[in-house]
Amino acid sequence: MRRPQPYWEQVEVGQEMPGFELEITPRRVFLQVSGSQDWYPVHFDPAFANKSGHEELFMNTGFLQAALVRVITDWMGDDGFLRKLRFEMRRQQRPGDTMVCRAKVTAKHERDGEGWVELDVWAENEREGVTTPGQAVVILPRQAGRASATG
Amino acid sequence: MADAYDIEAVRQKWVGFETALARGRYPVEHDPIRRHCHMVDDNNPLFIDPEYAKTTSHGAVLCPPSGWLALYFASLGPWPAAFEPLFPVVPTPGKRIVNMSQEVEWFARIKAGDHLSVKRRVADVFQKGISLDPEAVWITAEAEITNQRGELVCVIRNTLLTHRTPEEVAAAQPPGKGAPV
Repeated sequence: MRRPQPYWEQVEVGQEMPGFELEITPRRVFLQVSGSQDWYPVHFDPAFANKSGHEELFMNTGFLQAALVRVITDWMGDDGFLRKLRFEMRRQQRPGDTMVCRAKVTAKHERDGEGWVELDVWAENEREGVTTPGQAVVILPRQAGRASATG
Repeated sequence: MADAYDIEAVRQKWVGFETALARGRYPVEHDPIRRHCHMVDDNNPLFIDPEYAKTTSHGAVLCPPSGWLALYFASLGPWPAAFEPLFPVVPTPGKRIVNMSQEVEWFARIKAGDHLSVKRRVADVFQKGISLDPEAVWITAEAEITNQRGELVCVIRNTLLTHRTPEEVAAAQPPGKGAPV
């Protein structure tokens, strides 16, 4: 079944993406290493994390980026294009946290005939609030292009 | 590092340093994409279902637009299981790493079967203390990733900091000074 495709003309500033939640369980920590192939032990070995000066192991950049990207790609449809993504690891997602990922449209404009949409995208948890703030730019198809593509 | 760390000498030597273009060991493959998606429960069929992807305008499975995954495919691949810091070449007082930010600009999509290459550059090195280590060193590195046609796919700008362990910081304190709080 075809996934829904948003068009640039339909987007409104202030619109929020549904996002999702992930519990940071031990299983999720192992999935993180498998999915990112990041073998730096601060992300899976509590003793190494403690010796490095951290209270607990914490989730890595690849994992956080995959989550922020998912918020956007779940929404932008098959023909959306993620043009830019910037994010900061300000606080940590740790075992026991429930990571919540969300996004919100902050601006939209035309550029060289393309439909650009600017977003705030972030991860948060109850313990720390926003842990990973980010900004993204997505290019969405235009409805005019839809008419010519199907006509 | 017992001798004083000379950040200006390090900056002079390493800022602007570039690696040669290096080709990834393997092409962009389905299963690493599947594993990457499943770590965050991403079941997007455009990334994990070849039959679905064939019916889209792309005609093939796409790699999710994650700079981390692009760099993975452009690098040495999944084994040996060694963590590959973005720039291990820059000398620093501490060897512990925390990644601080990443910025990715995309110019083209990546499809399963593409073969990526990467060229890296040290963009900046500076010293800025953190609570863990007053001598933490921050490194900003850029990676340009191209595909098998030589097309620029994305540019990644990553900033990480390197720091010492609390034990190393305490050991480096001059006599008479207590460990930092």
